[in-house]
Amino acid sequence: MGIKRFHYARDVEEALSLLAAYEGRGALLAGGVDLARGLAPEVEGLIDVTTAGLAGISADGGGLRVGATTTLEAIRRSQEAQGYLGGFLAKVMGHVATLPLRNMATLGGAVVSAHPWADIPTALVALGAEAVWQNEELTEKASVEELYRRPFRAIFRRALLTEVRFPAWDGAFAFEKVARNAGDIALINCACGLGLDGEGKIAWARVAIGATPHRAKRLTAVEDFLTDEAPSEELWAEAAHKMKTEVEVGDDMRASAEWRRSAAAAIVRRALDRAAKGVTGDA
Amino acid sequence: MTRDASKKMLKIYFELNGEPMYVEIKPGEMLLDLLRRLGMKSVKEGCRTGECGACTVLLDGKPVRSCLTFAAKIKGHRVTTLEGLGSPANPHPLQEAFLETGAVQCGFCTPGMILVAYDLLSRNPDPTPEEVREAITGNLCRCTGYVKIVEAVLLAAKRRREGVWR
Repeated sequence: MGIKRFHYARDVEEALSLLAAYEGRGALLAGGVDLARGLAPEVEGLIDVTTAGLAGISADGGGLRVGATTTLEAIRRSQEAQGYLGGFLAKVMGHVATLPLRNMATLGGAVVSAHPWADIPTALVALGAEAVWQNEELTEKASVEELYRRPFRAIFRRALLTEVRFPAWDGAFAFEKVARNAGDIALINCACGLGLDGEGKIAWARVAIGATPHRAKRLTAVEDFLTDEAPSEELWAEAAHKMKTEVEVGDDMRASAEWRRSAAAAIVRRALDRAAKGVTGDA
Repeated sequence: MTRDASKKMLKIYFELNGEPMYVEIKPGEMLLDLLRRLGMKSVKEGCRTGECGACTVLLDGKPVRSCLTFAAKIKGHRVTTLEGLGSPANPHPLQEAFLETGAVQCGFCTPGMILVAYDLLSRNPDPTPEEVREAITGNLCRCTGYVKIVEAVLLAAKRRREGVWR
């Protein structure tokens, strides 16, 4: 490695000023899990942002705010995260990698790295989580879903993700993942959320699928199909069938497109059922 | 900010197995390499990708992968390796349990296994076999099939509850 300098950023402004001064040869470092494995050869300076005071979790009405350098394990164990959506987000963290890696990896790192196979982007897209980032000129925010439609890798070459905000939802979410073993990355994953109206019909639905092997996306056609319907085993089966026709899947070294199509339908059916039971308190 | 072409060595203070350390490191040096350079040979290099768990150490009491941790990040923090738990002359109860149950074969994974087990028992003194298996998920053993390792951790947990611990 060609690292010549290591900096401990005292705040966001210092981190951004150092990043700018390196003119493309500096890298922001949080947990380091991705960076240490794939450091670009041109990087000469590492700027540690875990010293910039960004870690922390706080309840925000019925929502949640998580500082970018908060570790995945800190989220998993936090009272605030366990109180958000029946602990949905905390439970998702338990699906990610293994404990020693969760003690290192940060939420901001997961958002910025945005691995197509990763679990966290899928949950964040389903939840409508909002990313907040800062560059030398301004602070910007967008939903994680919208961020991934933008050239986000270019954005984060000169910006620092500072916070992720999770909105309040009147309903419940469930996450499902298929992997070859407990610590492995997903062959396919999904996050589904449901809310019911006063008549017991589905008022809103959120369905996100990831590791297809493409990055997480919402399936709005499936969401629309579910809305205004009464929850039932049959409805989940029909939604799963619709999933099969709507989902964009591909082959890679881990699984075939056709396997992913079937698995996507199966896990969405399972997640919808669990989410519905979460809403009605049967979970 | 001025930058010269040479690598700037860093001087950092940290605590290693309870002892204060003041060392000079390269800015891109990994914690795994620093610890082995300091004689902590229980810290093994396996995959260098964070997958195998052989390089696991405790950072402020929490297990992390030293192969993916930049050494500069431990400035002002506490690092514990297996050498900090016990020695051949004075083994830790977890080490004794591993020996007694036959949980050690080649031994390459053992330091990492013992450190994640130590972390587990500090949080959960009476784990179920399932909880032990979950705790060692990130530590690969190619010899034992894990059965004896789980037995060892459960034995150590029992002894810890009986007051045999440090």
